[in-house]
Amino acid sequence: MKDKKLIYFAPFVVMVVVALVLIFSTKSKNQGEAIYEARCANCHMENGKGLQSLIPPLANADYLNKYRGKLACIVKKGMEEKVIVNGVEYQQQMPANEEFTDTDIANVLNYVLTNWGNEEKPLSLQEVQEQLESCP
Amino acid sequence: MKLLKAFIFFTIILSACTPSGKNKLPILGQVADAQFEFLSQDSAVVTPQTFENKIYVTDFFFTTCPTICPTMKAQMLRVYEKFENNDNVILLSHTIDPQHDTVGLLRDYAGRLGINSDHWLMVTGDKKEIFDVAKKYMVSAMEDKDQPGGFVHSGAFVLIDKKKQIRGYYDGTKELETNELMDDIEVLLNEG
Repeated sequence: MKDKKLIYFAPFVVMVVVALVLIFSTKSKNQGEAIYEARCANCHMENGKGLQSLIPPLANADYLNKYRGKLACIVKKGMEEKVIVNGVEYQQQMPANEEFTDTDIANVLNYVLTNWGNEEKPLSLQEVQEQLESCP
Repeated sequence: MKLLKAFIFFTIILSACTPSGKNKLPILGQVADAQFEFLSQDSAVVTPQTFENKIYVTDFFFTTCPTICPTMKAQMLRVYEKFENNDNVILLSHTIDPQHDTVGLLRDYAGRLGINSDHWLMVTGDKKEIFDVAKKYMVSAMEDKDQPGGFVHSGAFVLIDKKKQIRGYYDGTKELETNELMDDIEVLLNEG
């Protein structure tokens, strides 16, 4: 009698096991990726692909290499001027992220610089701090 | 007998987890009494008559929105691409920042998205009129100086049928809910 009642719980046991497997098999996200998803992906989209000619892509963007020395300030202070990325002009304003710490900026930039086909050299924390000291 | 009960119980649980093909959508409200006169990205006048005998999807946004709007527009673009050759379906995006989002700005924004005003209208107009019409669709849109960008608004896509009845709400920031919206548009098209 008691044994048979157990069968009602079977579906729940299966669900709990599946949930646990999923939780433990998902690689914990690095901090740069977590910041990107929370604060950048709304506009630059999943995988940094951008949005038509409205929002520039970050994936395979020539801008990252050409303006490497400006990247930390763009993340921190936002951007109003027009930019040309891979030959397309964009003019959507980018909001500032004044509350980001220097480490946040280094982490999120390094996530962008080394993902989605980007193979740029990561920025050191020191390089990021030097850039931030001379933001326009 | 007990085994049978367990089997039924199990089936119910499983069926609750799997999406089932819908063939009827609920009626969640109606907007037949909504009055408005807006201007589209092409300076065309947009009134309730524009949607006479059309199925339409509407949302609220603003071009300088730093939060959910670009994601909503990316999802709406998927709906646009799927139905851009169907004259029974129109998309309608209202700016909630009409002071900034003029016809010229909306034209630029629409152009950058690569959309055609025959199937996706981006409209501006009197601010109060826009906020009032949002209430008719039962979605929130208001000014809030404490929010990034200065406005707070719902990320909902609202589906309206040919009789100007509300038939569905979808989270416009989610790919899966947008898929559901596209399926539901097909359901309405089949209603005739």
